[in-house]
Amino acid sequence: MLDSSLAFDSRWWLAALLLLPVLWGLSFGGLSGLGRGRRLAALVLRSLVFTAIVLALAEAQYTRTSDRLTVIYLLDQSASIPEAQREAMKSFVNASVRSHRRSEAGDRAGVIVFGRDATVELPPVDFTYEMPRIEAAIDRQQTNLAAAMQQAMSLFPPDSAKRIVIVSDGNENVGDGLREARVATASGVSIDVVPIPLPPRADTVVDKIAIPAGVRRGQPFEARVVIDHRTAAGDDTDGRGVLRIIRKRGDLQEIISESSVSLRPGKNAFGVRETIDQADFYTYEARFTPENPDTDASNQNNAATAYTHVRGKGHALVIEDWEHPDEFTRLVETLKDEGLDVTLRGSDRLFGSLADLQRYDTVILANTPRASGFGDTPGGVVSTDSISGFSDEQIAMLVRNTEELGCGLIMIGGDRSFGAGGWDETALEKALPVDLEIKAAKVTPVGALGMIMHASEIARGNYWQKRIAIEAIDALGPRDYAGLLTWNGSDQWLWGQSQGGMITVGPSRNQMKARLDRLTVGDMPQFDPAMNLAAQSFAGLNNPTPATKHLIIISDGDPSPPSARTMKSFISQGVKITTVAVGAHGPPGHATMQQIANQTGGKYYVVRNANALPRIYQREARRVSRPLVKELRPPIPPQMMLQHEIMQGIDPNLPAISGFVQTTVKDSSLVEVILRSPEPPNPESSTILATWNYGLGKVAAFTTDAGARWANDWTGWDGYAPFFSQMVRWSMRPTGDTGNFTLATEVEDGRARVILDALDKNEEFLELPAISGVAVQADGDRPLSFSQVAPGRYVAEFEADQAGSYILMVNPGPGQPMIRSGLSVGYSDEFRDRETNRPLLESIASLPAGNGEPGKVLSDEAGVEFDSAAAAEQVAAVDSYRRDLPPAVSRQPIWPLLVLGASVLFLADVFVRRVQIGFDWVARLWQAIRQRLGGGERPAAEPVTMQRLRSRKAALRDEQTGRQGATRFETPDEPLPASESPLAAATATPGAPRPKPRQSDDLSGVEKPIEEAYTSRLLKAKRKASQDRNEPPA
Amino acid sequence: MTPPDRPPLDRRRFCQAASAAAGLGGWSLLGGAGLFGGAGLALSGCGPAAAEKGFGRLEAVWGRRGIVEGRMSKPRAIAIDPQDQLYIVDFTARILVFDDQGNFLRSWQTPESTNGRPTGLTFDASRNELLVADTHYYRVLFYTPAGELLTDRTVGGVNGKGPGEFGFVTDAVRDSTGCLYVSEYGDNDRVQKFSPDGEYLLGWGSHGSEPGQFRRPQNLVIDPQDRIWVCDACNHRLQLFDPQGELIGLWGTEGSDEGQLYYPYDMALDPDGNFYVCEYGNHRLQKFSPAGVPLGVWGGQGREPGQLWDPWALVRDSRGRLHVLDTGNHRVQRIAV
Repeated sequence: MLDSSLAFDSRWWLAALLLLPVLWGLSFGGLSGLGRGRRLAALVLRSLVFTAIVLALAEAQYTRTSDRLTVIYLLDQSASIPEAQREAMKSFVNASVRSHRRSEAGDRAGVIVFGRDATVELPPVDFTYEMPRIEAAIDRQQTNLAAAMQQAMSLFPPDSAKRIVIVSDGNENVGDGLREARVATASGVSIDVVPIPLPPRADTVVDKIAIPAGVRRGQPFEARVVIDHRTAAGDDTDGRGVLRIIRKRGDLQEIISESSVSLRPGKNAFGVRETIDQADFYTYEARFTPENPDTDASNQNNAATAYTHVRGKGHALVIEDWEHPDEFTRLVETLKDEGLDVTLRGSDRLFGSLADLQRYDTVILANTPRASGFGDTPGGVVSTDSISGFSDEQIAMLVRNTEELGCGLIMIGGDRSFGAGGWDETALEKALPVDLEIKAAKVTPVGALGMIMHASEIARGNYWQKRIAIEAIDALGPRDYAGLLTWNGSDQWLWGQSQGGMITVGPSRNQMKARLDRLTVGDMPQFDPAMNLAAQSFAGLNNPTPATKHLIIISDGDPSPPSARTMKSFISQGVKITTVAVGAHGPPGHATMQQIANQTGGKYYVVRNANALPRIYQREARRVSRPLVKELRPPIPPQMMLQHEIMQGIDPNLPAISGFVQTTVKDSSLVEVILRSPEPPNPESSTILATWNYGLGKVAAFTTDAGARWANDWTGWDGYAPFFSQMVRWSMRPTGDTGNFTLATEVEDGRARVILDALDKNEEFLELPAISGVAVQADGDRPLSFSQVAPGRYVAEFEADQAGSYILMVNPGPGQPMIRSGLSVGYSDEFRDRETNRPLLESIASLPAGNGEPGKVLSDEAGVEFDSAAAAEQVAAVDSYRRDLPPAVSRQPIWPLLVLGASVLFLADVFVRRVQIGFDWVARLWQAIRQRLGGGERPAAEPVTMQRLRSRKAALRDEQTGRQGATRFETPDEPLPASESPLAAATATPGAPRPKPRQSDDLSGVEKPIEEAYTSRLLKAKRKASQDRNEPPA
Repeated sequence: MTPPDRPPLDRRRFCQAASAAAGLGGWSLLGGAGLFGGAGLALSGCGPAAAEKGFGRLEAVWGRRGIVEGRMSKPRAIAIDPQDQLYIVDFTARILVFDDQGNFLRSWQTPESTNGRPTGLTFDASRNELLVADTHYYRVLFYTPAGELLTDRTVGGVNGKGPGEFGFVTDAVRDSTGCLYVSEYGDNDRVQKFSPDGEYLLGWGSHGSEPGQFRRPQNLVIDPQDRIWVCDACNHRLQLFDPQGELIGLWGTEGSDEGQLYYPYDMALDPDGNFYVCEYGNHRLQKFSPAGVPLGVWGGQGREPGQLWDPWALVRDSRGRLHVLDTGNHRVQRIAV
């Protein structure tokens, strides 16, 4: 129900309307020449223009008062509320909307669910929608009532009265709900509440596990656990269960204590003695398992963790290729003998998060390819289950660990490392002091890669085909050939159709990728035509002729097999065909694809996990790109190019090596090339050892191996141990004495605060303008943004929304060692509170909406507790759509419309004054109608002369039109003057002198063009000229 | 199985032969390998104005992409029962039943579909059951029209090249005596014949392009004389066999002109012996006289009504209308001929 009216913001402008009589007075005389009707119209229009302008200046607004009411239900879905009550909220909303929403008034109902965050489950709608279930996914680990109210305020439509109904236990642990409620009620929003009662139940809470600060190696200490056993009022039974204390470091977990305990109501403390022998990061977890789970209301609060870091002499992580284990045993043993802690891991058991890497001071990639599991033999079957390696995320972690967290990074060579290991075009290449392609080489062999794509019946088949093709194109060198065949009604090349389908990648790489982006692949009926096209294309490549020819077919094996002739063509050309069976349809599909691969010596891949596809394509594409391994026959000793910390005390006459992986030194002044091979002579691509600093970390690239194949002579060399141990020590993360820095942490409302006090040696406050840091946890990391709050005091905050240990890495700035510490975040407060916060909810409900009524506690009004779906229906009987709120008023400024109206009326005013419209035709039309109806007088008969003249005029017109049509003459632009018309006499008024009749030659002038057209003259001249030329000379 | 050698025919003689054969109740032709193997023979020249463009009028387009009831995703086979109810199997391995107006009636799912989905359907009116070529499970399933699986009737299920074993099964049909013919491809393209009780009788064909060989025999049709028509898709031809597997004739040449074929996936016969071919590669239907004279083309690649995108299958209903399964457009188009 709506009432409309006009309102004005600048009312005093309305006084200008008093000038209207003046306008009329001034205009009346000036418009006297127009006649009565037009003068009146002009006056009216002019007055309207003036009025519209005055109303616009007065900022006229169209206001509507509405009886409409919008109710938004805020449903607390946090973990502290039992499942049954969370479910009952849905029934409550459905029943409340169904029984009270007034459709005729246009009432709306909306639903917001909240936990740590608030999400709109149902925007305010003006029809009854029964929610089948609550679908919005929210973080249930906390309760943020304030965020839910803010969300509701942003959802309310302007043209209705507003009410919020909060269904919650009131145990908020993020934000300030009461403050938000005051803001909302002050702007006229009414708030009703439904408190959720929490059942009284015993609960055991592990409050904390405490470890003394500054634990040292070998020093015994006591870990203390505090357990709070809460019982319902009047209940003083003991709680029984098992308390375990678990120590975790890296992926190693050990139970250091396990005992049955009996808990008295209230706080209970337990202690366990513990000694740490090895430097590392340690997390201690205390976990209580109750004997009878029914006596424990919540099991989320049964564990607490604490964290400590024991500093040591340096820890290196060596990652080796799991397909070729034990290649680096000698190196690992040597480093251990040199007093370093070393962890050796296969590349199939890699780190999962940045936090895992914080235990190490340097990471060594020892002849490890980016992906392994392809098998050594050239042919054969490869299942994707066996393929494993570094994901892009893991590579990014390695790089960040070095760049931002100062950890060392060393890549040790071998035939599966650097470019030969597929590390090119990765983030790791950027971190290395060398580029992994040989840019300097002038003549390099060229490869050709053909791809046949067949729509496979796998999920997201098209996505994967696009992605892998792009990966393959990226892996190819600029001079390599690439072509791609798909079925799209017929077998077609995706590019280079006119050039045989396979073209060089270099100039077209981006266009190829753009085409791939638009790729849609159809269901190929048979392999033969496409393979035939590919075979022809391979045969036609001769400028330059590729050294390696490779075809990859991805399919489900469904198409009909290729003919023997086609296969023969591939075999005779030496093209290897790799087949990738994706979602292959059992044995027949397998057989076809396996046969194709076997006959040509290619690999046959069985893809069970589509994520492995890019790796297959990268690897297969690398087969065609040029080889990077340089074998030295005979072995040559590397030359030392400069003195470096790594080479300190080492004889510069190094033993010979028999090979290395070629790279190109990065064009940067930071790169130091320490060792170089005399072969090849090009200094850019003969690097053996190069180092640089990448961000905060140090990186070394050692392109030969550590004694397994190329550096065999080194294993017996005296310098072996010092060389490698010095390389590792040089690269390690700088850790200094952090005595001048004090790092403290605290956690509140799901946010952790890190406080750093920095003093120099003289106890003076330190200025740290470039301080930065990061908090890493298994599920990701959060940057620490420090701000100075006092002299020498820096504070950073981050969201610590996940329970567990966070490792804090703080970099105070250049020249300062990295500070490492930890922080343990316990379970959420959500699991701490066991009673409904009624006072908060009642305070919110008691706030009056603007100048109106306060809200209601709906369950009290209904006289029931909200503890089941049945109770929810009863609570819903209380009317949330009651009309105790002032009606909503909405205003809409209309001055733009007024200005537009004034402009249109102004034009109308001008029109009325300037243009005179005759209305004689109205009278004639009226007469004609009357005649037709037989009621009017007939006009007098036309005189005979008049008829004759008319027919003569018509005859003349016909004659003229006929002639014009026949000759297509151009008519003169200007019409003859009326007075010259032969019919002018007929229409002249009687008595006037008759014009002189035209002479016949005058009439003929009408037929003739008055002036010859320009083109006609040109044509005539041209004809004449050609006649002159053709006439024989006299 | 190779037919006796005959001297190659020129086009005129072929047309005469085809027309003469037509008089005997359908085309039939035996020709030398040279005629059908490489040289190819276009029929478009037979009969001066025999072929006129567009033999039918589009009556209805229905179907919507989706996986909920009544919608279909990449439907690949269609069958029709005597009540003109249409059975369609789609890429989600659902068998969807519609009336001839496209109103959804019911649906059910084949028992397994992880390996792949069925690509052939036939309705056996004599026994009132639906035959489903469960391609990637090497078997033929039998259903009642209501969707009840007759488990004891399943034929095949074992992958192999022996009698009664199958590769990728494409279609199954029954002749008037109740014998079952099953086509398959993979690297052992052939047709196998089973007795009405499901006993293996004989098999013929192999992978190749010689007469009597197949490359992806995508569909089978039995004509009133109990002869077996095979849509030899990747050889771009039709082959006709007698119930003993003897080749009666083969016909078709690869191409996109009128009268040529490009991946013929399915066909339908009318009572006059005319036949309609659904060409997957040319995205069209063609009508041929019993002598193989092209009588018109319908369709063309596109997404508009009247256009087709990778059509897989075709049926003719009791009123002579054609229902074509427009796979790439996830719909059915009905054509009044």
